[in-house]
Amino acid sequence: MSGGGVLVIIPACNEAASLPHTLDEVRARAPGMDLLVVDDGSRDDTARAPHDRGVPVLRHVVNLGVGAALQTGLRFALERGYDVAVQLDADGQHDPSYLEALVRPVLAGECDVAIGSRFVARTSYHAPLTRRAGMLLFSGVVRLLTGQRITDTTSGFRAYGREAMEACQRDLPRDFPDAPFLITLARRGFRLREIPVEMRERRAGDSFYTLSKTLYYPYKNLLASLMAWLRRPA
Amino acid sequence: MYLTRIQLITALGAVGLAAAVLELVRRRRLTEEYSLPWVISTVVVAVLGLSPPVLAAVTGALGILYESSLVFFVGLAFGTIMLLYLSIKLSQLTHEHQAVVRELALLRLRLDERAPESGAGLSPGGRA
Repeated sequence: MSGGGVLVIIPACNEAASLPHTLDEVRARAPGMDLLVVDDGSRDDTARAPHDRGVPVLRHVVNLGVGAALQTGLRFALERGYDVAVQLDADGQHDPSYLEALVRPVLAGECDVAIGSRFVARTSYHAPLTRRAGMLLFSGVVRLLTGQRITDTTSGFRAYGREAMEACQRDLPRDFPDAPFLITLARRGFRLREIPVEMRERRAGDSFYTLSKTLYYPYKNLLASLMAWLRRPA
Repeated sequence: MYLTRIQLITALGAVGLAAAVLELVRRRRLTEEYSLPWVISTVVVAVLGLSPPVLAAVTGALGILYESSLVFFVGLAFGTIMLLYLSIKLSQLTHEHQAVVRELALLRLRLDERAPESGAGLSPGGRA
């Protein structure tokens, strides 16, 4: 359908409240980019806002997880020939004003994955202590295993080039596409680069990182990071 | 022979299990693939339970003091291996399930693009 171009992928689960604003904002700030919503098994009317605005929706009939939703979006981007795909959260945390800055280095071939990071420059972002400790830990893990300095491993605000999209069809974990995923990409020789962005408070809904996940997250991602490092890049 | 009763119970249990497994396969409620470890394990337990010389030989070779302990050990080892095998299968099914859901989403959009009048993409839940 589209030859080249940029696709903004918005994974959304029960985001009917914040999605209309997010879609309108992306349209206003990045008029040249196409939009796609991946509805990850929502039980509310998440699909209505994109439908009313003529934005295509890919709908998972059951909830699979944010990584799986991103993977579905990237498959779409590959099939329709987009050069760059950007993940943007539905909840309004990611400011579409930064889309241009995130996409530019990937389009120019300076890197394969651009990561919108809260910490490269001084920003107003303040996380709870446990979250902060986790970010520091996984930033250290990524640095130890790949030699790359990624300060914001949990940032979902990322731009992917075509080759990285293809790798994502194999390597994207279903739940958290964070540190282990970045390690896998780095091990495959993809160039990652952090771009400073400001993140905002979410507009509505609950954070993806709930209490039970706070306990499971470090276990899963430490193990997966180690495995990503041990695995021979195919 | 003070082991006779436990041997009898073990053997009866093994035969009962084997019959149940074969019956499940006959009714197609259990596939041949999944029945194999069950059949093997019931044969092993039945042989050990019915034949005191074999049981004694294996028990002695492994340095186990009580022959009945060997039977329980074999059963427990089988249970553990079977659970690991099922966890592997479950992980595999999770991957396959994800691929199917993804493919369904892509096909559904393609269908909606061809027939935009239906508005079928709207209904949430899909179970209405």
